[in-house]
Amino acid sequence: MVESIQKLGRTGIEFISALGRSGVFLLRAIMGLSFTRKGVGLLVKQFYQVGVLSLIIIIVSGMFIGMVLGLQGYSILVDYGSEQAVGQMVALTLVRELGPVVTALLFAGRAGSALTAEIGLMKATEQLSSLEMMGVDPMRHIIAPRFWAGFMSLPILAAIFSAVGIFGGMLVSVDWLGVYDGAFWSNMQSAVEFDADVVNGMIKAVVFGLVVTWIAVFQGYDLIPTSEGISNATTKTVVYSSLAILGLDFLLTAVMFGGL
Amino acid sequence: MSSYIEVENLSFSRGYRKIFNGLSLSIPRGKVTAIMGPSGIGKTTLLKLIGGQLRPEGGRVLVDGQDFQTLGRDELFKARAKMGMLFQSGALFSDLTVYENVAFPLRAHTKLPEDMIRDIVIMKLNAVGLRGARDMKPSELSGGMTRRVALARSIVLDPALIMYDEPFAGQDPIAMGVLVQLIRLLNDTLGLTSVLVSHDIAESLSICDHAIVIADGRVIGAGSPEELRRSDSALVKQFVNGLPDGPVPFHFPARDYKDDLLGVDDSDLLGLGGGRG
Ligand SMILES: Nc1ncnc2c1ncn2[C@@H]1O[C@H](COP(=O)(O)OP(=O)(O)OP(=O)(O)O)[C@@H](O)[C@H]1O
Ligand SMILES: [Mg+2]
Repeated sequence: MVESIQKLGRTGIEFISALGRSGVFLLRAIMGLSFTRKGVGLLVKQFYQVGVLSLIIIIVSGMFIGMVLGLQGYSILVDYGSEQAVGQMVALTLVRELGPVVTALLFAGRAGSALTAEIGLMKATEQLSSLEMMGVDPMRHIIAPRFWAGFMSLPILAAIFSAVGIFGGMLVSVDWLGVYDGAFWSNMQSAVEFDADVVNGMIKAVVFGLVVTWIAVFQGYDLIPTSEGISNATTKTVVYSSLAILGLDFLLTAVMFGGL
Repeated sequence: MSSYIEVENLSFSRGYRKIFNGLSLSIPRGKVTAIMGPSGIGKTTLLKLIGGQLRPEGGRVLVDGQDFQTLGRDELFKARAKMGMLFQSGALFSDLTVYENVAFPLRAHTKLPEDMIRDIVIMKLNAVGLRGARDMKPSELSGGMTRRVALARSIVLDPALIMYDEPFAGQDPIAMGVLVQLIRLLNDTLGLTSVLVSHDIAESLSICDHAIVIADGRVIGAGSPEELRRSDSALVKQFVNGLPDGPVPFHFPARDYKDDLLGVDDSDLLGLGGGRG
């Protein structure tokens, strides 16, 4: 009994302390961005690693999700004779919800886990220590470029996801199932509002980008430098990010669309 | 004899284990100092405390009269550019070639033109005998080669202080001989201060000007290699002659060996028996 209370207390203290560490860490990662030639070079390299290399999975998934939405939307709407509305349904679902959420989930699995493992391995092999001893701040040289690249890539990836998804939905409903394409596009145009839907979707993507990259980079930097520690931290990145994305999505949706 | 590094009454612990408890020592300027001690005694930890990577719990460390704990982050990084450290594992950047690894500190701290960087890198790689390996990736190097590349990298900025963590481990006799000469040569020609951490007693004593033996979190002997060899302290004798039995324990602190084998319940012993064995 006493032991379990002690354990609870210890877990609580550890949680609070990790929260504090990660908060300080976030600030230093944000401040660590530099616009010297070297700093920009590092950032571009990470943009490639984190963003460009995630493009394939984002495009393929967006395509399939859009196609599924087109099929499902059509089969539901056709019963009411309103299959022209499929365009607006696909677009709204993607722009408001699936674009940011699925992109963020995929991003956590593809780029987030890679960031954690990479930074963790650098820690385990003392590369971070040796940077420090060379007088190069690993926060600036390693952490900040990765953090910023991840954080800025996600909204762009989410936009690409939605665009590809809409294209996939059109392929299925217009080219395959024969929905009139004029109605498909004009319904979509009149239903999707820029500030209500597009901007809100982008805000979600920005928030998810911040949270996922923060979790990934912090888990890598804070892990216990052993092979077991690295595998634990990689798992934690994916699990915590996914939970955070879904939880935050509910909160944001409630605020943006739920009239809260 | 003026000292470059002054460790005063230092204490530090990992978890519940006190690694240093009131450790004091001084490292003379411009000489090769060997710090020796059994494995796990905290030699690497001491180097990290000197470099300001770890914060002492008590006491202080002065490097060239400067206490790193009083410096801000930026000043600290600037101060560190004047010291080189050879890590036990080498710690090369795994995504860069050997050449780029050695060039890294130059690119980070100087604005030298590319051809000058090239000359310096080639010179340093030549000094460690690995000029031919410049295009290899760290994953393609052997352990001994890794450490020599790391050595080239740690001297590329011509630091005022260089710390070697186990430079001899994993070196064949020829490379070992070259390294010993190199450490000596660097020290004498560049006028830097060298600190060498090792349990390779014979090699260390053969190149150092000053040796410090640590055990049990404190200094058990210090002086020139000659003085240490002639010391009548049983501790120092055991260490210098590499005898397994003697006052320096070979075992990490543990409970009684017999109890351990017989599986006597841990909880009975933890309170009283922790120090036995
Ligand atoms: N990150 C860490 N967390 C917890 N304990 C550690 C950590 N690093 C080292 N220790 C402990 O501190 C003690 C000193 O470690 P250190 O690496 O300084 O030893 P060392 O003298 O360099 O040993 P060796 O000669 O084998 O390299 C060890 O007993 C080790 O258990
Ligand atoms: Mg060590």
